[in-house]
Amino acid sequence: MTAVVPGEGTAASPALPGRRSRRSRRGSPAGAPPPARRRSGRLLPYLLVVPTLVALGAGLGYPLVRLVVISTQEFGRRQQFGAPARYVGTDNYDSIFGTSYFWDVLWRSLAFCGVNVVLTLVLGTLLALLLTRLGPGMRTALSVALLLAWATPALTATIVWQWIFDARYGVVNWVLTRLGADYQGHSWLSEPLSFFFVGTLVVVWMGVPFVAFTLYAGMTQISPEVMEAAAIDGAGPWQRFRDVTWPALLPIFVVLAALSTLWDLRVFTQVYVLQQAGGIVRETNTLGVYAYRQGGSGDFGLGAAVAVVMVGITLLLTLVYLRRMFRQEEL
Amino acid sequence: MKTNTLPEAAPSGAEVARAARGDAATTGMTARRARRVVAVALVGVLALAACGSDDDEASTGEGDDGTALEAPPEDTEATLRVWLNGPDTPDEMIDLAKAEFAESYPNVTVEVERQEWDGLVNRLDTVLPTEDSPDIFEVGNTQAQSYEAAGAMVDLTDAKGDLGGDDLVDSLVEAGTYDGRFYGVPYYGGARIVVYRKDLLDKAGLEIPTTLDEFVDAGKALKADNADVPNFSGIYFPGRNWHAMLSFIWDAGGDIAVDEDGEWVGELSSDASVTGLTTVQDIMQNANAAPADSDDAEDYLDFCNGEVGMLMGPGWKMGQITGEDGCPGKYDDVLGAFALPGSDGGVAPSFLGGSNLGISARSENPGLALEFLKVLTSETYQTEFAEIGLIPVRKSLLDQVQGDEAAQAQAEAAENTRFVPSSENWADVESGNILQDMGTAIASGADVADEAGRAESAIVDILNG
Amino acid sequence: MRRRWLWNAVALGVMVVMAFPVYWMVVTSFRANSDIRSAPRFLPVGTLENYRSVFERDHFWTSFANSLQVTLLTVVFALFTAFLAAIAVSRFRFRGRLGFLVTILLVQMVPAEALMISVVKTLDGWDLRNSIAGLTIVYVAFVLPFTVWTLRGFVGAVPRELEEAAMVDGSSRLRAFFTVTLPLVAPGLVATGIFAFIQAWNEFTFALVVMDRPEKETLPVWLQAFNFGARGTDWGGVMAGSTLITVPVIVFFLLVHRRVAAGLTAGAVKG
Repeated sequence: MTAVVPGEGTAASPALPGRRSRRSRRGSPAGAPPPARRRSGRLLPYLLVVPTLVALGAGLGYPLVRLVVISTQEFGRRQQFGAPARYVGTDNYDSIFGTSYFWDVLWRSLAFCGVNVVLTLVLGTLLALLLTRLGPGMRTALSVALLLAWATPALTATIVWQWIFDARYGVVNWVLTRLGADYQGHSWLSEPLSFFFVGTLVVVWMGVPFVAFTLYAGMTQISPEVMEAAAIDGAGPWQRFRDVTWPALLPIFVVLAALSTLWDLRVFTQVYVLQQAGGIVRETNTLGVYAYRQGGSGDFGLGAAVAVVMVGITLLLTLVYLRRMFRQEEL
Repeated sequence: MKTNTLPEAAPSGAEVARAARGDAATTGMTARRARRVVAVALVGVLALAACGSDDDEASTGEGDDGTALEAPPEDTEATLRVWLNGPDTPDEMIDLAKAEFAESYPNVTVEVERQEWDGLVNRLDTVLPTEDSPDIFEVGNTQAQSYEAAGAMVDLTDAKGDLGGDDLVDSLVEAGTYDGRFYGVPYYGGARIVVYRKDLLDKAGLEIPTTLDEFVDAGKALKADNADVPNFSGIYFPGRNWHAMLSFIWDAGGDIAVDEDGEWVGELSSDASVTGLTTVQDIMQNANAAPADSDDAEDYLDFCNGEVGMLMGPGWKMGQITGEDGCPGKYDDVLGAFALPGSDGGVAPSFLGGSNLGISARSENPGLALEFLKVLTSETYQTEFAEIGLIPVRKSLLDQVQGDEAAQAQAEAAENTRFVPSSENWADVESGNILQDMGTAIASGADVADEAGRAESAIVDILNG
Repeated sequence: MRRRWLWNAVALGVMVVMAFPVYWMVVTSFRANSDIRSAPRFLPVGTLENYRSVFERDHFWTSFANSLQVTLLTVVFALFTAFLAAIAVSRFRFRGRLGFLVTILLVQMVPAEALMISVVKTLDGWDLRNSIAGLTIVYVAFVLPFTVWTLRGFVGAVPRELEEAAMVDGSSRLRAFFTVTLPLVAPGLVATGIFAFIQAWNEFTFALVVMDRPEKETLPVWLQAFNFGARGTDWGGVMAGSTLITVPVIVFFLLVHRRVAAGLTAGAVKG
């Protein structure tokens, strides 16, 4: 389901506590004994994990296994309705990598994802900094505005944005025309580049609040004394950001980047809804939508293979983050 | 494995129809008679269009797989779950069908659940194979074969006679037939017509166009004549209206793809098709203000805004404009309709839309479902369709298609209807948005031959699996 | 200080941009359908017709109830299970721990749309299609990875000495988790709860195929009925329906917002 509202990063702060835990671990050199030494109940951790595993297994276990199996089969609508499925080895994968179209989709998705992640993070950081500069009243007001963007369902949000950019009756064209530009009836979705411009607006609009809140929380952790000391040493605002804020926020940043990448790469709702509204599907398919359309057109085997490939690509992209995690966890 | 194509049969039927129409014209007719004649012609055409499927019927005779479905006893207690799509079937008709059915089966509850066309394929693919499948479901006539081929529907070959048999409109029977077996029961049909503003035509000093060229010129003239109205379309032709595009392709002698010995061969980039599409581009760019990347679903609202001279749409479009969702009273008096004229002065070929009903292979009460299908294809029920701007699926009822100009135009248009490539894979062409993409590009000024070539190769790939 | 007004001006600009789409949705929901297709209007005044058609359409309240049930159940189950798992991974070092973490991360990478047909098949096998329980199982599974991941951080931030102190007082280990740790990670629970709430409340794809009986639909699927395919879309209805659907989320959000903010800052001080 996360994929249905991708990019809609929602939880308040996955990163922040993670960072804290790291810091507290680091910050207790001789203190707490490492967990491994606890002997009360070898079984306890397993018992604690069981409910999660059961829930995951129940909801996704069989579907995940079947996804991989189907990706090696000729599995179409006939098979879905009971005909025996034939194993075709890597045929589905071959036909994915063998078509130049897949590579188009891949590069397009990577570019779209990259732009969105960078914009989300940069704007999120700026907003977080802005939050620290505001008085309490204004800060609350801005927070509420951010919350609105955050809490709107992806489907609804995309429909509204689509309406705002509507060729005939959209407010954007109306305003631009009023300002003297010739935007009467201009279709924002028919050109791939401006299609993705609108797409980026939607994705970033929904993604920024999460990043901003998380980073803002992180910034409030930096003790004012350190900042003051830096200021007294003659550091300007940029230097203070670079030397104090940035290093402190880096761990949060990495997690945010990883999560944003994860979500933005399989963006579905936003692109799909915009495609329904206008635009050229062939030139605007991204990985998530492409996989879905393969399934929707009755080739579930190919759709499954695309999904598996997507997991692989996501793994590659988040490798940096994963390595970081491995290093930390294997202390 | 491919079934024969309807289009091959259609032109001959069209000729007969045209001849019939000529007759009527010379006899000096009253409106009623004209209607009558048109309807008779319609019967003739649709009957002729059927010749391709005669073989199928011959081969089906005795059911060689499965036993025939029997009507359950009248005191059967059960619930029938019926999926009908979109708002095409009004509530009153559903009530009528339920009441009728209740006379034979008082203890059966019929639950009609409305499905939306958007997302329908997802639901059908996932839900039909489950225990809790609906008993009866509706699919678009272009999607039907895909589910017939997949084994999602109960074979109704033996029951065909009770469902209307030879009285059923043949091209819809064709859509309901796969590999010689009959699965999808025709539910209703719809031909596409031109809806126009009489006052604007008068103002510009134009007559109803009688050839395709005149139609295009009229569109441009209308646009010029109404240059003071922002966003005015002489002919409203959004880039995604691929159903309308087909008329121009077929009229020019082109096609999407043809079946040559079981192999689909692309025709979309043939000279003839490109000629037709070039006319389309001419209209889109010079007579039209509809967005390149939208479809015709909301054209009636633009029409109500006074921004449209002529539009090409389904037979019920006029009713939508004058109805509650449109602008009742605003244009009622100046609204007219005609069948799109072909370049030879006859009726241009147009796409026959419609839908088919199937009994889910997982239905627990297929016998009962069949009894309900009989109600839905009955004369009483089908007559209702004629009244709401759709084409009934019984040939014997086609002369009931009467009333307003739209119905007449539709009856005329129906004389020369054709169909998309008759393949179980066609649904995938539609869900891939291929023709819509092509239309958008063409409307935006792309090279017609390039776009047609690209669409053709994508379509052929899908059709040939 | 003299630059405060500048920041306020910037903030005001950002606020307008962020809130505008939501505002626009509300404005549009008050326009008659015939009026929507004309020049923009900027004030939320006009007709209540769209809201009437939303309330009058069949199954609005049943869909609302379904959505609420599925969402709340998802939130409760996901938080409870995720809390236990978070304790396990941040308080214990056990065989398979890393594997567990990697699995959870991997699961998040799978495009959910690709799992549709198999999920429905699974639920059908258990006779759980068209049931609140069935959809909840799916949602919990999809929400869990993120909630475990997040709560793990929050739990890690609670000094384990506090649990140990409780154990010295005679509490069992497990008991200490619930009496000491649980209250301290309340802000984390709230934060992840919001995540789960929004995900479940807004989800469309699975709801469409898992709940196909009209009386079992959830709100996002119910809203689809304003889209008539070839016959156009009732934009006024869609906007009014969307506004109504968004309201509970925002209310829930604002209710717990203070706790989140407080929680974040409290946690920060502790670190």
